[in-house]
Amino acid sequence: MIALEGVTKSFDRPVLRGVNLIVPEGCLYGLIGPGASGKSVLLKILVGLIRPEAGRVLIGGRDIFQMSDLELQEFRKRIGMLFQNNALFDFMTVADNIAFPLRRLFNLPDQEVQERVAERLAVVSLPGFEERMPSGLSGGQKKRVGVARATVAKAPIVFYDEPAAGLDPVTSQKIFDLLRAEQRASGATVVMVSSDLDRLLTVTDRVGMMYRGSLIFDGTTQEAKQSKNPYVHQFVHGIPEGPL
Amino acid sequence: MSADELNPPESAVGHIDEENALHERTGLAWVGGSVLDLLGAGKQLYSVFVKTLYYSARGVPQPGAVARQMYEVGNKSLVFLCVVMGFIGMILVFQAGLQAKRVVPDLSLLGATFLELLVRDLAASISALMLATRVGAGIAAEIGSMVVTEQVDALRMCAADPIDYLIVPRFKASIVMTTMLVIVAAGVAYLTGMWTGYAFFDINPRTFVNMSLVDKGDLTIGLSKCVAYGAAIPVVSGYCGLSTFGGSEGVGWATTRAVVNSSLAVIILNFFISGAGYLIFG
Amino acid sequence: MSTPRALQPFATIGGAFLATSEVVGGMGVMFGRIVSRLVRLSFDRSELLRNLYKMGVKSLPIVVVTALFTGGIMVIQAAPLVERYGAHGLLGWGAGFGTLREIGPLLTALMISGRVGANNTAELGTMVVTEQIDALRALAIDPIGFLIVPRFIGIVTTLFLSTVFADALALFGAAYAGRGILGVEPMVFFNGLTSGLLGLGDVFHGLIKSVVFGMVIALASCQFGIATSGGAPGVGRAVNSTVVVSAAGIFVLDYIVSFAIG
Repeated sequence: MIALEGVTKSFDRPVLRGVNLIVPEGCLYGLIGPGASGKSVLLKILVGLIRPEAGRVLIGGRDIFQMSDLELQEFRKRIGMLFQNNALFDFMTVADNIAFPLRRLFNLPDQEVQERVAERLAVVSLPGFEERMPSGLSGGQKKRVGVARATVAKAPIVFYDEPAAGLDPVTSQKIFDLLRAEQRASGATVVMVSSDLDRLLTVTDRVGMMYRGSLIFDGTTQEAKQSKNPYVHQFVHGIPEGPL
Repeated sequence: MSADELNPPESAVGHIDEENALHERTGLAWVGGSVLDLLGAGKQLYSVFVKTLYYSARGVPQPGAVARQMYEVGNKSLVFLCVVMGFIGMILVFQAGLQAKRVVPDLSLLGATFLELLVRDLAASISALMLATRVGAGIAAEIGSMVVTEQVDALRMCAADPIDYLIVPRFKASIVMTTMLVIVAAGVAYLTGMWTGYAFFDINPRTFVNMSLVDKGDLTIGLSKCVAYGAAIPVVSGYCGLSTFGGSEGVGWATTRAVVNSSLAVIILNFFISGAGYLIFG
Repeated sequence: MSTPRALQPFATIGGAFLATSEVVGGMGVMFGRIVSRLVRLSFDRSELLRNLYKMGVKSLPIVVVTALFTGGIMVIQAAPLVERYGAHGLLGWGAGFGTLREIGPLLTALMISGRVGANNTAELGTMVVTEQIDALRALAIDPIGFLIVPRFIGIVTTLFLSTVFADALALFGAAYAGRGILGVEPMVFFNGLTSGLLGLGDVFHGLIKSVVFGMVIALASCQFGIATSGGAPGVGRAVNSTVVVSAAGIFVLDYIVSFAIG
């Protein structure tokens, strides 16, 4: 279970203003909002990469910014993350990329690591890609390797930052379906940021909308689609005119 | 959307508008501001250096990483360095010979003096300046690209400290390779200097090759410089790489900063080590 | 078509030679284009002023620090020699000729190559990667006249003025280091400088070099900047190439110029 309380962050200007948010366990939560509303920053705060100026982030009931180094290590074992640009290590093979969290965070025997990597590659429909290098992959393939790396540790909490950015419609839908199937199979708590509204709403259980650093809506997918809130309504239905 | 929409910075660290920052401070405020910036950066650099040393001793071992970096630093800079040092040898002997002839008719000690200077200072310092550009730019560009494509974030997510994982192998490799490269470079410069002495001033190569003026002190100073420069370049450029922000523009700036700051570090270290050397060995 | 193993070294050397020729040739072509626009005075004046200001002002601190430290280093290096031969009166001369003819122009050029040259490549490279150059062409603005020529003039001018400034500062630093380390009074130092063993010719020797170095840096940085490709890593690679080629070019030309004008 993930809870944000009063999270505030500024860079040169305020980016997040007192965000309160709860993501129930086992929920696939979609985070939406116009560009520059603070979604990516929020995601990075959730995984502990950025420290907020005020507020707390509680994951599984523990405040992640009050943790000791050892606790932080344990915490990271329970999180998987897909970055916006995949962030694959371009000096390693696909197999080493996917195995990296396993090797750094857990002490598994080599045999098991290899088996898990092969299993992940099969799930993302890239069997046999172990020795390939990231620079030789297409956008869709890189994304799928990223998904494999994010889910290889069977983490109970997974974050996806723009999982279908820059992909063609067919590949986008395949990725979303894959992520949905993964979540159903593992029962993980998932937070997904995406600008691809229509596709995102086909897989989410709950939705939160950000606008100018504040969370202006938090409810089920159905509620989001039927919301009378003018900002939410305009955004969800992609209408050009309105308060946004 | 209204005109004052927020734009999230491209990286986690925030965006500094260089042009505006320059115009905001004038006169004394500029000097004071620059000093404060410098001190802040100095503190961070020091902390990176200390962490590098710590992880060198106690970090996670990475088989093959140091060897790979040694190849990057060493093999790829060898030709460049030899060419440069070859020309340096020629230039120095040529200039020194020209000037010396105006004052002292006997050039027999030119070779010996040249060797002493090479060992004590020039080989290490000039090679280091060249390496600061070549290697420093390379390290900053690589690490900077990784920051911009969020690979460094991904490393941190998997509990791999970027300093341990990225800087330490380069640190170890650089110290070893810098020393070796400087020795080779000194040899090359001495050879071309010898040829210049023969071709332009009729100095017999036998007379030129004279090691009598090189003593333990010179060797110690020269080697200390190799180690110091070899240590400084990856730490400074790595720090510049890790503090990249702002997309592909940022990688360019980071590389520039790395080159300038590594070169400055070499010059400043040179001053202090030479000074200490003079005070200790005379 | 792969080369048989026995011939591989030749292929490598040949490839390196071709690559070098490409770079030098490209720089030559760019130089020709710049000159033709200079002659016709078809370049953007406000860009020129902007670049002069930016390059000059931003390089100032680096030049100052480098010059002062260099002056000190030269005295420290000369100290054992001076002590050995008792040649205190010649310190001014020794530091003088080293600085004016070689160290001043060389080190200033290396630092400017880093500060200004690399910066320049980064800017141009980013403009290429974000398609701004294409945009200029689409607006029928000549990128060479608008972007390159002002930067070329800016870099050469900046290096020239910086060298003059650095020479003075280095000698100043050396004079005081001389007093501090060897007990040589600044007046003696100054006399050594102007005693007649050094002449205006030595000053010009250094200044001519600074102009030549400036042109190398400008051509290399503009060349690699404009030819950037490959996104963020491409910009980094271009900057890398610029500093390496500038440095190599500076040393090669240092030798040639030293030899040519004695």
